[in-house]
Amino acid sequence: MKNILYKSVLVAVSASALLSCKPNLKAPTPGTGNIDATRYVAIGNSITSGFADGALYYDGQMVAYPNLIAEQFKLIGGGDFKQPLMPSGSIGIGSTGNAPFKLDFSTDCLGVNSLGPVPTASVGDLSAFSPSANVYVSQGGPFNNMGVPGAKAITVAVSGYGDYTQGPGHYNPFFTRMAKDPAHSSMLSDAMLINPTFFSLFIGNNDVLSYATAGGAKDFITPPAMFDASINAIVDTLTKKGAKGVIGNVPDITALPFFTTVPWNGLALTRQGQADTLTNLMAIFGVNHTFVVGNNPFVIYDASVPGAFHGRVMLEGELVLLSIPLDSVKCHGMGTFKPIPDTYVLTAAEISNIKTATASYNTSIQNTANAAANGGGIAFVDVNAFLNKTKTGFVYNGIALNAAFVTGGAFSLDGIHLTPIGNALLANEFIKSINAKYNSSIPQVDATKYRGVKFP
Amino acid sequence: MIKKIIAFTLLSAPVLLNAQGFQVNLQGQAQQGMAGAGTALMQDNSAVFFNPGGMSFLKDNSISGGVTATIAHGQYLDAASSTISKTDNPISTPFTGYAVFGCLDTTKYASHFKFGMGVYTPFGSTAKWEDGWTGRFALTSLKLQSIFFQPTVSWKINNKIGIGGGLVYGQGNVELKEDLPIYSNGTYGNADLTGKAHGWGYNLGVYIKPTDKFSIGLTYRSQVNMNLNNGTATITVPQSVAAQFPSGPFTSSIPLPKVLTLGLAYQVNAKLALALDINYIGWKAYDTLAFNYKNNTPTFPDTKLPRDYKNTFAFRLGGQYHITSKFTARVGVALSLSPIKSGYVTPEVPDANKVNLTAGLGYKVCNRFRIDISYTFENLKRTDNNLALQMNGTYKTYLSAPGISLAYKFNRN
Repeated sequence: MKNILYKSVLVAVSASALLSCKPNLKAPTPGTGNIDATRYVAIGNSITSGFADGALYYDGQMVAYPNLIAEQFKLIGGGDFKQPLMPSGSIGIGSTGNAPFKLDFSTDCLGVNSLGPVPTASVGDLSAFSPSANVYVSQGGPFNNMGVPGAKAITVAVSGYGDYTQGPGHYNPFFTRMAKDPAHSSMLSDAMLINPTFFSLFIGNNDVLSYATAGGAKDFITPPAMFDASINAIVDTLTKKGAKGVIGNVPDITALPFFTTVPWNGLALTRQGQADTLTNLMAIFGVNHTFVVGNNPFVIYDASVPGAFHGRVMLEGELVLLSIPLDSVKCHGMGTFKPIPDTYVLTAAEISNIKTATASYNTSIQNTANAAANGGGIAFVDVNAFLNKTKTGFVYNGIALNAAFVTGGAFSLDGIHLTPIGNALLANEFIKSINAKYNSSIPQVDATKYRGVKFP
Repeated sequence: MIKKIIAFTLLSAPVLLNAQGFQVNLQGQAQQGMAGAGTALMQDNSAVFFNPGGMSFLKDNSISGGVTATIAHGQYLDAASSTISKTDNPISTPFTGYAVFGCLDTTKYASHFKFGMGVYTPFGSTAKWEDGWTGRFALTSLKLQSIFFQPTVSWKINNKIGIGGGLVYGQGNVELKEDLPIYSNGTYGNADLTGKAHGWGYNLGVYIKPTDKFSIGLTYRSQVNMNLNNGTATITVPQSVAAQFPSGPFTSSIPLPKVLTLGLAYQVNAKLALALDINYIGWKAYDTLAFNYKNNTPTFPDTKLPRDYKNTFAFRLGGQYHITSKFTARVGVALSLSPIKSGYVTPEVPDANKVNLTAGLGYKVCNRFRIDISYTFENLKRTDNNLALQMNGTYKTYLSAPGISLAYKFNRN
C-alpha cells in the first residue's frame, strides 16, 4: 500500500513537471550564403531615402526599405547602416520646400468637412536645404543610404550634383545636405567611399516620373539608350571590386495612387438642365460632347486641339494627377469652363511614351542584372510585379492591403511613396531575391510590426 | 469626386476569426485515464455522457463531480521572418457533474430504469496570444466555453441490452478579440466580439453485453447549433473613422458537431479490462463562420470566414488494472485526426493530427466514496499556409490536463 502511495506521489511530481513544459520551436539559423553583408550601400531615389507623405523626415527614414534590409543583414554579420538623418524633431521637407502631409479633416470650398491629406505646416523644414546644413561630418559620413529624392539613373554618376553655387534648379538640395563634397561628389562616388561589399540599386522611377508627375508638361523622359548606359556604368563601378548586389526595376505608373485616384470621368452632374447647359456652352468653345446626368469626362487642355480654347473631353485610360487643386474643380469650373491644365493630366500619348520608356528601362535593368559581375549576374527584384500585385490587393498575415489611396494601407499620403508596412514588404521582396540568387537564408522583416497610414 | 478620394471603400476589412469548436474530451476521470475510451465500459455515472444506453446497467445511485485543469502552452514560428510568438493562455477548468438514480430493488421491474443528469463541457477553447504577436490581426484572444445540461433516461431491456437517451441543452460564451490594421498614435484598432449562445441536441446510446467479458456500445451525440442571437461587437478605431466601423449587436451560429461512437470493451480477467472507442465526428458542418452585424457600413460588411472542415475520426484505446481492491491504474493512447484541411489552420485552433497519452489512478476510499485522478498530455505541431490570412508558419502546442473527480454512491447494500 505504501508502495502505491509512494508511486502515486512520484506520478504527481512528474506530472507537474510536464505541466510547466513549454514547446521549443527553433528559428532556423540565418544563412550567409555567398554574401558578405559587412558594408552595404543602397543607391536610389526618394523611395530608397525613406521619403514618405510628400517629404523626407526622420520617422520615414527609419523605415526606409534599405534600413530594414540592413537590420536583417545584421543577422548574417552586416555592419552599421548610416543614413543622413533629418533631426528627429524636424517636421521634414519635400522637394518644393513643402511640409509632409498628414490625414486630417478640412473644409472645402463647398463647406464640406471631410478627411483627407492636409499639409502639417505651411512650409517644411527649410533649414535642411541651407548649404550650411550639410551633415556629412556631423553625422559621420560616408553614408550607407545613398538614396536621394529626385535622383535619376542619369544623375547617379553626375559630379557636383549637390553644387548649390549652380543656382536653384541646377543642383539637388537633398544631395547637398549629405554629400562629402557637394561641389564635386556624385552619388556614386560617395557610395564608393563605403567600399561596399554589397549594394542595392533601385533607380529609374524619376527618369519617367519627373515627366509624369508634371503631367508630361515639364522635364523629359530619359532616352532609353542613355538610361541603359547609365545603369551599366553604375553597376560596373559597384561590382568592380567584387561586390555583390541586387537591382530593382521600375514600376508602371498606373500602379501608383497618385495617378489612379481621381477618375477621368469624375465630373458628376445631378440635373438634366445642368447637363444640357454644359453641352451647349462647351459647344461654343468647340468642345462637342453631350454631357449627361451622372459621371462625365473632365474637359482638359490639349495644345494639339485647334482653336483658342484648346479643350477636349478626357478619354478613358487618360489620367488625372492627385496634385490637381480640388477646390478649383469643385467651385471654380476647372474641368469644364477652365480645362484642366496639362500639368495635372497625362494624355493617352503621354502615357504611351511613359509605358514605352518604362518597358525599355526594365529590359535594360533585367539585362544588366543578368550580365553583371562578369556574367555571373546579380539579384533582380521585380518591383513592378510587386506593385502590380498591390494594385490588385493582397493579404499579409491577416492584413488586407491594396493600392487604394489612404485606405489601401500600402501607399503614403503622397500617393507615390510607401507607408512603413509598404516599405517593409518591399524590403522583403529584396530579401527574397537576394536569398534566391546568393543561396542565403536571411529572414524577412515581420511587416506586421509596421503601420499603414496614420489616422487621426 | 472628393468623396471618391476619401471614401473608405474597403478599409482593410476586419478578418475575423472563429470560435471553432475545439472538442474537449474531458468528461470523466476514469475515461480520461484511458484516453477517453468508455462507450462500452460502464465505469461510473459518467455513463450519462459516454453511453446513456449503459447507464441502466450501473448498480448504484450516485453523484459525482470532477474538474480538469487544462494548461496549454503554444508557439508560432512565422516562416518568412522566423519570428517566434507564444501564447499566454490562462488555465481553463472544464468540469463535470453527474447524478444517476433509480430503483435499486432488483425484484421490481422499475429497477430496469435509471434517470440521470449530466453537466459537462463538450467543447471549449482558450487561446490568448502575447501582445504584439505576428498574427494579431487574425486573433489576439479567444475564449469559447460551452456547458451542456443533459437530463437522461436509460432502460435495461434485459441483461444483455440497454438503451437510453438524453436531451441536451447547450449554453455557451464566446469572446473573440483581434487587432485591426488601422493605426493611430502608436496603437491599432481592435474588435471585441462577445456573446452568449444557446442550442439544443440529444445524446442516444445502446449498450450490449453479449457475454460477461465482452461489451459493445454505440452512441450518437447530435450536432448542436449554438445560436448567438444578441452578441456585442465592440469596435475600437481612431475617432476619424469610428463612423465607418460602428459597434453594435451581432448574430452568429456555431455548429458543435455530431459524434458517432462505436465502443468495444473486453474484461480480460478480474483485474484487467481493455476498451476501444472509435469516434466519427461531423466537423463538415463547420463550413463557414459568419458574423452578421446589425450596423453595416460599406467598410464594415458582415464577416464570412471559410472554415471548410471535414468529417474526421478519433481512435481511443485504454486499459485499466485493479492493482488492489482499492487502487486501479489506467493508461491510454488516442489518435485524433484533425478536421482542419491544409490552408485553413487558424491561430485560434492550431489543430493537427495528434496523439494523446494518458494515465489515471482510482482510489476507493471506502465502499461509498471514490476518488479518480487522471493526466492527459498532448503534443501537436502543424505547419500551414492559411489561404485567407496568408499566414505561413508552424504552430506547436503542449497541453497538459490533470484532473480529479469525487464520486459518492447511495443505498449500496
